[in-house]
Amino acid sequence: MTMDNHKTIGYACAYTPLALIHATGFRPYRILPNLDCPDQAGRLLHDNLCPHVKRILDRAMSKQLPDLAGMVFMNSCDAMRRLADAWRVVCPDMATICVDLPTTTSEKDIPVFESELKKLAGTLGDWYGRPLQPENLMESLRLYNELANAFERMRSRVQQGVMRNGAVLLQEAYLQAACTEPQAMLSRLKMLLTEKDQEQKSDMIPMYLFGNVLPDLEAFALFEASGARIVAEDLCTGSRAFAEVKMDFKKPGEMLAAYAKGLLQRQPCARTLCEAQPGKMAEDIVAAARRHQARGVIGYTVKFCDPYIARMPGIRAALKQEGIPFLLLEGDCTVRTMGQQKTRIEAFTEMLR
Amino acid sequence: MMKEYFDSLESGLQSAIAQGKGSPRKTYSLELARLGQRLYSGEHKVAWCGIAAPYDLLNAMEVTSCFVEFIGAMLASTGIVGDFIEATEQIGYSSDSCSYHRAVSGAAMKGLMPKPEFLIGTTCPCSGGLAVIEHLAAHFEKQLFVLHIPQNESREEVRHLAEQMRAMTSFVSKITGVPLDPDKLKSAIGKTNRTREIITQVYALARQVPSPINSKELSNFGIVMALFLGTDAGVTIAETYLEELQKRTQSMGSNPAKEKIRLLWVQNRIQFKNPIENLLEQEYGAKIVIDELNDITWDPIDNGDIYEGLARRSISIPFNGSIQKRITHLQKLAQDYRIDGAINPCNWGCRQGTGARGMIEEGFKAVGIPVLNLEVDCVDPRKFTEGQVKTRIEAFLEMVESRK
Amino acid sequence: MFYLGIDIGSLSCDAVLIDHEEAILATAVVPTGARNLEAIARVTENVLHKTGIPKKDVKGIVSTGYGRERVQERIGAVTEITCHARGIAALKPEARVLIDIGGQDSKAILLDAEQKVMDFAMNDKCAAGTGRFLEAMARALQVDIDEMANLDLGAQGGLTISSMCTVFAESEVVSLIADGKPVNEIVQGLNRAIATRTLALVKRIVANPAGLPVAMSGGVAHNAGVVRAISAALGGVAVLVPPQPDTVGALGAALIAKEKCESFRG
Repeated sequence: MTMDNHKTIGYACAYTPLALIHATGFRPYRILPNLDCPDQAGRLLHDNLCPHVKRILDRAMSKQLPDLAGMVFMNSCDAMRRLADAWRVVCPDMATICVDLPTTTSEKDIPVFESELKKLAGTLGDWYGRPLQPENLMESLRLYNELANAFERMRSRVQQGVMRNGAVLLQEAYLQAACTEPQAMLSRLKMLLTEKDQEQKSDMIPMYLFGNVLPDLEAFALFEASGARIVAEDLCTGSRAFAEVKMDFKKPGEMLAAYAKGLLQRQPCARTLCEAQPGKMAEDIVAAARRHQARGVIGYTVKFCDPYIARMPGIRAALKQEGIPFLLLEGDCTVRTMGQQKTRIEAFTEMLR
Repeated sequence: MMKEYFDSLESGLQSAIAQGKGSPRKTYSLELARLGQRLYSGEHKVAWCGIAAPYDLLNAMEVTSCFVEFIGAMLASTGIVGDFIEATEQIGYSSDSCSYHRAVSGAAMKGLMPKPEFLIGTTCPCSGGLAVIEHLAAHFEKQLFVLHIPQNESREEVRHLAEQMRAMTSFVSKITGVPLDPDKLKSAIGKTNRTREIITQVYALARQVPSPINSKELSNFGIVMALFLGTDAGVTIAETYLEELQKRTQSMGSNPAKEKIRLLWVQNRIQFKNPIENLLEQEYGAKIVIDELNDITWDPIDNGDIYEGLARRSISIPFNGSIQKRITHLQKLAQDYRIDGAINPCNWGCRQGTGARGMIEEGFKAVGIPVLNLEVDCVDPRKFTEGQVKTRIEAFLEMVESRK
Repeated sequence: MFYLGIDIGSLSCDAVLIDHEEAILATAVVPTGARNLEAIARVTENVLHKTGIPKKDVKGIVSTGYGRERVQERIGAVTEITCHARGIAALKPEARVLIDIGGQDSKAILLDAEQKVMDFAMNDKCAAGTGRFLEAMARALQVDIDEMANLDLGAQGGLTISSMCTVFAESEVVSLIADGKPVNEIVQGLNRAIATRTLALVKRIVANPAGLPVAMSGGVAHNAGVVRAISAALGGVAVLVPPQPDTVGALGAALIAKEKCESFRG
């Protein structure tokens, strides 16, 4: 795979500071686990490791990567840490950095993350990026937030059920956005948003979907075909990757700290926790399901994801207490797993009819 | 039930030692039993923590602190862990995850974990462990503080962690109502440094060929000793080991014939009763002379800058940071201890310990050390199939022997 | 007027033909084999032949099971969860928990007082504790699968099978035989292992199943030893097993076919 633009930086986690990478003159490009490569990563790591991470490493081992100026990893969980380690063995000539990411989001964590972002900016400079300037960062942040807002408009149309094949189109757009220059993506989204409304299907059951990695378009087609309308979703290959970063600062010198805070305090993945409210994730899921008037909740996680595994009993109990039906699906980032889940999804919608 | 268990363990060990049937391992077990007694007494302030927490600091603040995995290991060693793990499966805890942590959650569910005053999570060694601490905080409705352990020992990262540890001290004082007494802290750090110094000598003796220790004596030692840092108990345990090993070294002379194969054990041991160590020693003359975590990776803590010293120590744990750092450490141990082979239990469900299995294997091979990946669950005996494990170990030892 | 339900499972293909009063006229079970279209044709032919009813009189066919979309003449395809719930409602209306262990998966289904599905749980991807697992174990023990059903009788019950992975359990069984362990002890150990897995599934849908009537469907319910072990794991609850547990899903499908036809008309 070659690309005309050599200034591409690869990434793999929804916490990656895309605007910062962009502001130093690079195009962030997500290495998604959706190419069919031979299964080899287990040899270097372990077979019982996150399939998301293994599939990404399989791409590197099969040389199924675009031309990258470097790879930015986030130390978000054990599996991501191991991916960064293994990458150095598989691609010894590629420049890489592993950015440390605090697990909690309180005030004491902001300076830690801020200095990591500073370090990242310096490293990107070493990779022949341009030095990080406040005005460039501001401009990139504005662009990414505009993109996030365009996605938000699209999400709300999908939620209303007025977009033909909405859930699939939205997911397709997320995947494109992960690998596309934000400006170009913005134009594409604006075009999608001009399409006329379709009539709502009345017999669909509104569902809330949360979890980690689900880039598979077939999955979203399957949800729709089974009568489930995904009214809102919280996935790391979905809304979490393109959510607005809220910034609050007065002087340009405070911008990086504000960015660190904004990124950390976005919708969290299970690896992030709130010290003041242990188990908050379960409450968040209940609240989101209520807010979107979902009649059921679908959890989707790839196997061996410790942060989600450990939270699942609490989530299950909270939903049960609220009387919200819950379906947990497990996948392994291969194309064929969703088909096997078909019966569960259909039975779940049948149950709610 | 747990209180009675630790009471009887303590009195049994104490009388054995009083009757002159003592050993370093008995002294160590006695202190563990006493820790268990304090945890379950209902009278002591208890904190459940992550592995990388500064236990000497917490000891100086008179909080009985312990990492949660201790409970998982203890339930495994007493042979009753299966029921607890099963209880978590019934509430939807996937069996793909670490059995230490599932056992702990099961124990909390069944009311077997003492209620803590507060909890200290640490981001090292693993995401799963931190998640369990969070779960316990929600379960007990107690306050949680998380220490983010940085990846490297740069000045800035050390400073960040030292800052967090200071904040942790205020957090603890606020809950216990007892401020940290600077003299107590100094005294505790004195004991930490003393323990460190003696353990360094113990390890130096264990390195000798032939080694004066046997396969079981130092199992789990390094990781558990962290709990006793800053206490007299820590100094006593270390001294008992040193005296015994010095005695053995003197009386042993050099008789390498007894020690055919020297082995390194990666990560933690299997916590339930199993025949592996006996099999190694009795049938193959093989001995585990070093465990990955039985090493001092940190400098003495300077009284002028205690928090930075503590921060450096937490960052230096071999499990923290890149896998390359861990491999370099394993290679160093392999050379220092002149080992012939390494056994990696590959504890099922441990992404931290086992997630880089292949790279660790490559790292050993690069220095000419063969590795056996055992693929066992170190906590859940229900998954242990003795016959298969035995066959794998035997085949490995035959191979190691043929290479010598 | 007649209604047909067809359940195309991984191991067997089942059919139930009912009349307008919901009376069961005929049932049939054939192995699915590699070509499920043939099995569907055979099992349909079989029930029609038994009753002498011409195909044109069958007003509706509903299919279920993993091959449900392969039935071309269907008026609907419904999952086996809904069908088993519907089927057991007709046969054991008091049941509130239904355990269905089929060829390659097992399920626990929680039913409300009207036998509507309130929650369900399914096993992981692997075949542990399912019909295929038992077949593999019977093969390892060199006994007939039907014979295995009562082989646990008289066992003292001290033996535990530690592995639930079909592959590992098979080699474990082989080594237990080599150690000279009695077959009835091994069989009981296997049954208990399945029961433990099943209990975990049940607990996922209802934390405290005590007092709830439990029924069982699916081919494995024919195995009295497994049913005994599940009953013991549930604290001695009597497990209700309908006379033809493997055709409960197909019966549910037939009943749903009748409902669908009636609602089209009305």
